[in-house]
Amino acid sequence: MGEVIVVTSGKGGVGKTTTTANLGAGLALMGRRVALVDADIGLRNLDVVLGLENRIVYDITDVTGGHCRLRQALIKDKRFEGLFLLPAAQTKDKTAVSPEQMKALCAELKEEFDFVIIDCPAGIEQGFKNAIAGAEKAIVVTTPEVAAVRDADRVIGLLEAAELRDPKLIINRIRPRMVRAGDMMSIEDIVDILAVDLLGVIPEDEMVVISTNRGEPIVQDEHSRSGQAYRNIARRILGEQVPLMNLDEGGFLARLWRRMIRG
Amino acid sequence: MKRGTPEVEDNTILIRRTLRSGQKVYYDGHVVILGDVNPGAEVVATGNVIVMGTVRGVVHAGAGGNEKAMVLAFRLEPIQLRIANHITRSPDGPLQKPTGPEVARIKNGVVTIEAYSP
Repeated sequence: MGEVIVVTSGKGGVGKTTTTANLGAGLALMGRRVALVDADIGLRNLDVVLGLENRIVYDITDVTGGHCRLRQALIKDKRFEGLFLLPAAQTKDKTAVSPEQMKALCAELKEEFDFVIIDCPAGIEQGFKNAIAGAEKAIVVTTPEVAAVRDADRVIGLLEAAELRDPKLIINRIRPRMVRAGDMMSIEDIVDILAVDLLGVIPEDEMVVISTNRGEPIVQDEHSRSGQAYRNIARRILGEQVPLMNLDEGGFLARLWRRMIRG
Repeated sequence: MKRGTPEVEDNTILIRRTLRSGQKVYYDGHVVILGDVNPGAEVVATGNVIVMGTVRGVVHAGAGGNEKAMVLAFRLEPIQLRIANHITRSPDGPLQKPTGPEVARIKNGVVTIEAYSP
């Protein structure tokens, strides 16, 4: 019996889809069977980030509408053994699925997978309500921006109202140098306001842009710091105690060295 | 302690959680919060508002016109603070953070914030 986790944020563009893809791939790398569900109906992206867009035949609305069996709609990942994607529909909208259907779908998926990770759409309307309906745990993603933290706070309140207690926090795209200069909110500032457990911190990394555009999750890149951060989070989800990584970028030589080994 | 007590009925509600963005409490009486009032949250009371935590959102004490109402918090950093019909807002630009409990009340017709001493 698996765990159903929803990845949400309130605000758009903070990295929900990237996080979903990388956590799924990371957990699959560690030998778990993982199903990723794209709940962003009408604006599907998760398939693109995973590089699986060309394999879509059926989508989530075909499953809930009874047009195909769940197994037919699940796309097996081309690189990671044990990773599957249930894509969203692109030609429908959020009303195409109901919270009850999502609950039933999640219940069916968790029979077969160790982890079911749901990529929630931005916003707090129907799409959000659908995405959280079948979830047992929640991960809230935010960036160190006042607006994103405000929205994360709103979403945590809504999750608690929906009986999804103790959500875990991921802070994405932090720039240690800007934090040191006092130009960016620090990890402490954010945790102080949101008052939830910190699951991990992802440093700002250009490689993430490249990897999402290529459809290759960064988590498999041994040399990237953000990939390391995602692997650490995957290990924490599996119950390991992994300390937060040192976010210091190091001096010029250290950065040059990393760039060289990265090739 | 009768000092500063408004003339409303002494009904008091105890809220044992942090109010997050989008959450609102309205109460006809006093409100005591064991937690924070985050930005985007709102507390409105006809009596006093006491927050055992940090106020970063909007608080309104003495709603309905009680000029003797007050707001007391461990850390008072509200976006906006209202007492009776007076509306004050946080200063524009960088502000110095409070280091201890503070109380806001109307003095000589102006909302005044002072360090709290029991």
